[in-house]
Amino acid sequence: MTSSLLLPIAALVSVCAFGQGAVGEFVPDVGFDLSGNWNPLLHEDFPERIPGPELVNYAGLPINEGSRLWGESWNASRLTMPEHQCQVHVSPYIYRGPLQMRVWDEKDPQSQKIIAIKNYISTYEQTRTIWMDGRPHPPAWAAHTWMGFSTGKWDGNILTVYTTHIKQGWVRRDGLPESDQATLIEHFIRHGEHLTHVSMVTDPVYLTEPLVKSQDFLLNTNAGGNWLYPCEEVEEVEGRPRGAVPNYLPGQNPFITEYANMYHLPLIAALGGPETMYPEFEKVIKNPPPTPSDRLARDEIVPMPVPNAAQNPNPTDGEVHILPVQGNVYMLVGAGGNITVQVGDMGVLIVDTGLAETADKVIAAIHKLAPDKPLQYIINTHVHPDHTGGNEKLRAAGVTITGANVTGDIADAGKGAAVLAHQAVLDRLSMASGKQPAAPVGAWPTDTFLGDSKTLWFNDEPVEILHEKAAHTDGDSIVFFRHSDVIAAGDIFVTTGYPFIDLARGGSIQGELDALNNLLDLAIAKHDEEGGTYIVPGHGRLCDRWELIEYRDMVTIIRDRIQAMLKKGMTLDQVKASRPTMDYDARYGADKGFGTTDQFVEAVYKSLGGK
Amino acid sequence: MKRTLLLLAVAAASVLSTQVKVYAHHSFAATYFEDQEVKIEGKLVQFLYRNPHSFVHIEAPDDKGVMQTWAVEWGAGGQLSRDGVTRESLKPGDIVVVTGNPGRNPDDHRIRMRSITRPSDGWNWKGVVQ
Repeated sequence: MTSSLLLPIAALVSVCAFGQGAVGEFVPDVGFDLSGNWNPLLHEDFPERIPGPELVNYAGLPINEGSRLWGESWNASRLTMPEHQCQVHVSPYIYRGPLQMRVWDEKDPQSQKIIAIKNYISTYEQTRTIWMDGRPHPPAWAAHTWMGFSTGKWDGNILTVYTTHIKQGWVRRDGLPESDQATLIEHFIRHGEHLTHVSMVTDPVYLTEPLVKSQDFLLNTNAGGNWLYPCEEVEEVEGRPRGAVPNYLPGQNPFITEYANMYHLPLIAALGGPETMYPEFEKVIKNPPPTPSDRLARDEIVPMPVPNAAQNPNPTDGEVHILPVQGNVYMLVGAGGNITVQVGDMGVLIVDTGLAETADKVIAAIHKLAPDKPLQYIINTHVHPDHTGGNEKLRAAGVTITGANVTGDIADAGKGAAVLAHQAVLDRLSMASGKQPAAPVGAWPTDTFLGDSKTLWFNDEPVEILHEKAAHTDGDSIVFFRHSDVIAAGDIFVTTGYPFIDLARGGSIQGELDALNNLLDLAIAKHDEEGGTYIVPGHGRLCDRWELIEYRDMVTIIRDRIQAMLKKGMTLDQVKASRPTMDYDARYGADKGFGTTDQFVEAVYKSLGGK
Repeated sequence: MKRTLLLLAVAAASVLSTQVKVYAHHSFAATYFEDQEVKIEGKLVQFLYRNPHSFVHIEAPDDKGVMQTWAVEWGAGGQLSRDGVTRESLKPGDIVVVTGNPGRNPDDHRIRMRSITRPSDGWNWKGVVQ
């Protein structure tokens, strides 16, 4: 049951949510243990669950205009792409359709206190952990997962759960998105052999108010089967060009009115929005305003700018923080651009050096990670000062291990760490550009490469430096730690905004897309597009392949739109005014500072040949 | 509320008519024209017995006579196993006749399987992909 009817129930239950009582100490009454195997009861919103929602059926959902545009541009063919075939339903959605669910407690063997309540959901083989031991949620720059990070507490006989760090997923699986900014509050309520699950998802990017749903389960005392659901991606559709992302250009979705016509509803009802959740909307249905199906043709409407509603993924305390990634690799945040650190017996290798003013804090963080090891290598992903600003100090804090087969003093050669980068980075750092003076000699790369790649073996793992031509700039490199399975992407990939395509320094939209697709080729998910290869973006939170997929899709779709507008002869001002990024602006947009939405649109427009 | 009741009634009717029992990972309604049916006959080039859904790829002409590779979506491994279909039931080179719901994007050449028959020995399957 979606939304309106549930609101009073949810409000009542919410009163109890996160109230008094120490986390994890309450022991529910006998009979209220949630452990067991549970089968879903599918009577609530059955058509949405089986066989699945119709296209452009958004009725009763509190979506905003950005969500609606996202949904209307969504083409079901997207699910035929190998990288989308194993997309898991996120925790706010997956309870609508688990084939089976198992719940059990994990207890401290010494004290027998509950550490966590676990859910195994057979659909996509998801194991969810609800921590009951009072641990804090991870920082904003930590990675997200399909199930998110959950903490729970007992309020009387109700288990209340709060979840953050959820991946981008569905609000409804006909193309309506839920952003990675969504959070979830749930109540698990057991009545004998029945279990009621009430969920309230809040999404500042795509929902205007919380979406409340409930679903029920029945205890299954005779569970059988192996409950496995391995998903393998395959080539469903032959011959699709590399990097192509099926989507409908604004105004060209041929199925906009299909659902409304099928059920004899006014289109305004099918298009959803908070007003369609409440009984008062019945009056609107009786006298619906005209809603032309082509209302989204971008040259026929004047969309309003959408403010960015995403959480700041950076530390706000002015400090540089260390986040373990995996293997030998760590991520430093708070120094401007993200810094990737690889440590081991041989010493320390870092990718990028952050801003000049944070260099001392970066050195301190590296020292904390490897107090007795020399900083030997610095790799620059590109030329910008938020990634090279610390070069001079960091280089001076390191050493180059060298030698010779002749007797003599080689101390000079060993001074400072080696700084590796593509030749274009050295060219630009060593030359004044406009009003920008050349960087000091001590900040220049000491070792450059001209070709497509450079490799080295360090700390017992191969490290590949792969040049990406004309992407964010003309000197971009990504750095792949093959054993740790981590990629430092530089500013080719960020989670804080649209890609900044620096046309003045040789960037281009096609190069950016090529680079994103190359990154995708390198990244392999561990299970259902989660885990496996981790990616340190130039700015923002730690990611895996899924975030890269959604980001590549977004940039491709916006490129397609602007290309279509160019073909129609639209001027840059007309393109900007039509807000071709509107469905992503609440997540990635900016109207001031470095890398605004307008700058992105302009860069794409000009990169595609627009004047 | 009248609208809600109407929708529920329509939903219930829909459930009874389709008799689908298990949740699909994607929405069939969003992916296929469920009210249309097409038929193709051609050579099986690949049988992917897998989750979330199996696929058979078939070389067969489209309605203009142009040879295409069709991706026919079938049941999950578990469903097919229950129906007696195994990984060895079909092999590349088999000539088969398939009926099913066409995909919404004609360029994808996708079909949701409703039936498959191998005329050479009469082997066949018919049902609802779950």
